[in-house]
Amino acid sequence: MSDPGSQKAEAELLPETDIEISSEPVRARRRRRGSIAAESSVNMDELRELIQLINENDFSEFEMEREGFRVRFRRGVEIGETSSAGFSQSRELTASSVPATGEQAVSVLPSHPGAKAQTEASEDQDLYIIPSPIVGTFYRAASPNADAFVKIGSRVEPETVVCIIEAMKLMNEIQAETTGEVAKIYVENGQPVEYGQPLYGIKK
Amino acid sequence: MTPEIRKFKKILIANRGEIACRIIWTCKEMGIRTVAVHSDVDRDSLHVRFADEAACIGPAPSAQSYLNIPAIISTAEIFNVDAIHPGYGFLAESSTFAEICAACNIKFIGPPANIIRLMGDKVEARRAMAEAGLPVLPGSPEPVTSEAEGLQLAREIGYPVIVKASAGGGGRGMRIVHSENELGKALETASTEAAAAFKDGSVYIERYVQDPRHIEIQVLADEYGDCIHLGERECSIQRRHQKLLEEAPSPVLSPELRNQMGDAAVAACKQLGYASAGTVEFLLDQDNKFYFMEMNTRIQVEHAVTEMVTLADIVRNQIRIAEGERLGYTQADLMIVGHAIECRINAENPETFAPSPGLITAFNLPGGPGVRVDTYVYAGYRVPPFYDSMIAKVITHARTRDLAIARMKRALEAMVIEGIKTTIPLHLKIMDDPQFKTGNISTSFMEHFLAQNGTKIPKTQSGAGALAG
Repeated sequence: MSDPGSQKAEAELLPETDIEISSEPVRARRRRRGSIAAESSVNMDELRELIQLINENDFSEFEMEREGFRVRFRRGVEIGETSSAGFSQSRELTASSVPATGEQAVSVLPSHPGAKAQTEASEDQDLYIIPSPIVGTFYRAASPNADAFVKIGSRVEPETVVCIIEAMKLMNEIQAETTGEVAKIYVENGQPVEYGQPLYGIKK
Repeated sequence: MTPEIRKFKKILIANRGEIACRIIWTCKEMGIRTVAVHSDVDRDSLHVRFADEAACIGPAPSAQSYLNIPAIISTAEIFNVDAIHPGYGFLAESSTFAEICAACNIKFIGPPANIIRLMGDKVEARRAMAEAGLPVLPGSPEPVTSEAEGLQLAREIGYPVIVKASAGGGGRGMRIVHSENELGKALETASTEAAAAFKDGSVYIERYVQDPRHIEIQVLADEYGDCIHLGERECSIQRRHQKLLEEAPSPVLSPELRNQMGDAAVAACKQLGYASAGTVEFLLDQDNKFYFMEMNTRIQVEHAVTEMVTLADIVRNQIRIAEGERLGYTQADLMIVGHAIECRINAENPETFAPSPGLITAFNLPGGPGVRVDTYVYAGYRVPPFYDSMIAKVITHARTRDLAIARMKRALEAMVIEGIKTTIPLHLKIMDDPQFKTGNISTSFMEHFLAQNGTKIPKTQSGAGALAG
């Protein structure tokens, strides 16, 4: 998922299929899994084939699990159910998570990319929230092979670059604009973010 | 040319308010998924609620949200849409936006960028339309650069003349001049106003028509050179060049005059290579002579009255045409059934026209036969102060004009909006006006009407307390 190009592939295959890759069950499993191996990434072509197969056979629900990666498809989901899930690929947001990890879930019917992050951030009232200043695609690192700009526990100064938001092929470096320690990361690498969506929670 | 049809699976709507909802309704009927974009104060807007997907693209000021081209294109790419519908206002007549969409391989639902640009420059548009055979008012072929030049021109044209902004619209940068000694000042103020409003201070001079009617022709053209018109709309009821109420058909157009104006508009559009829906606006003088005024290269607020009397879905046709489909109709297919009236309901004080944003505490939509309401508000919605004040359009359709007026009256009486002031009482008063009822109206109607009734319009609706309790 660290490849910016794969985001595009995902977006392409989703609208045609009316399938939800649910993020909800994934969240429940987080604690059991421990650290996620960096190399377990998802091949988008495989996923596309899979979806086609499921579509052709008219399954309403399908679940598959591999090491460090789990995907679940559902069809005919109510809007109310999915809107809380957000557009996001959901992955555990702990110190152990690295940009290239592979578990993902993309929902198709969300109303808002930022809905989940918004909800999560609203619970963290003691933290200073760094919001996205623009709509675009969020990257935690300068390139697929680079280290993340910041991790949980990183110290930030106002000028510290915390991420890149890509909009119209332009990489916009986002600065912390505050001093403190990264306590929460609300979004996934490669995830679409909207204006005002919480990105990081900073402990002052 | 063989049609190359590219069906849209998903459309982004680069707009807000009732028109964004209007576009979503047609997309739903066509099985096309929709993406809404919105500013952070528009989260609770209905277009966000009813789109399949939505993204917040910026803060309240339009320049940072609804006019923010990078944010809109970025959203279109993230959601992988096939096309963008610009609605009206905002980026609908931005040739730059249309070009950027094309460069990003996203279909802009509207005419080609070069035609948007041409029609956006009023001097160029007038020249092009005159070349395409439309009658235009005598006036300056180029922007006027000096007072001496202006005086010379005005003498040739004959007073009264009107000074207009080349980049103009909405009445800004416009001055009526009755004699030579007023001209210098008028050129100056119009130019200053135009520079402030459109970043382009160039102005031109045209003969001023006393008490004209504003009649516009709706056209539909495909990408293969086919074009038809859907008859006219009567839009003479305006205040400060802002339309308040529109009708179709016009009470004064004979079938012959309709054909004449329609055919002229169609011929001009064909010559331009126009494609998509568009509106050619004319002034109609007291002798029923018509003159090209300007062309709007987008869907218009008042398109609904045409939809009612022709049964055409103009948004659907815009989308079909953008997909590369052929028009599929000929002029002979046009039928005009009955009469339709549209009242624009604005969140404004009906007497002073001061904006009245705020919380809508109670809301009742009128219904019954022949009533259509296009709106994006509801009970509990807070009308934001940042955008256009129009919150709803009430459209009635009936067999005759008299019946459509009666229907409008009872629809407006049943329409309850509490918590904010609206123009409903103003429209109710217009429905009762003897002059309006005769159909003998011109663009000076509102001036006379307000002089007579200005202080008699109730600020709140009578009997409106019923819902609040």
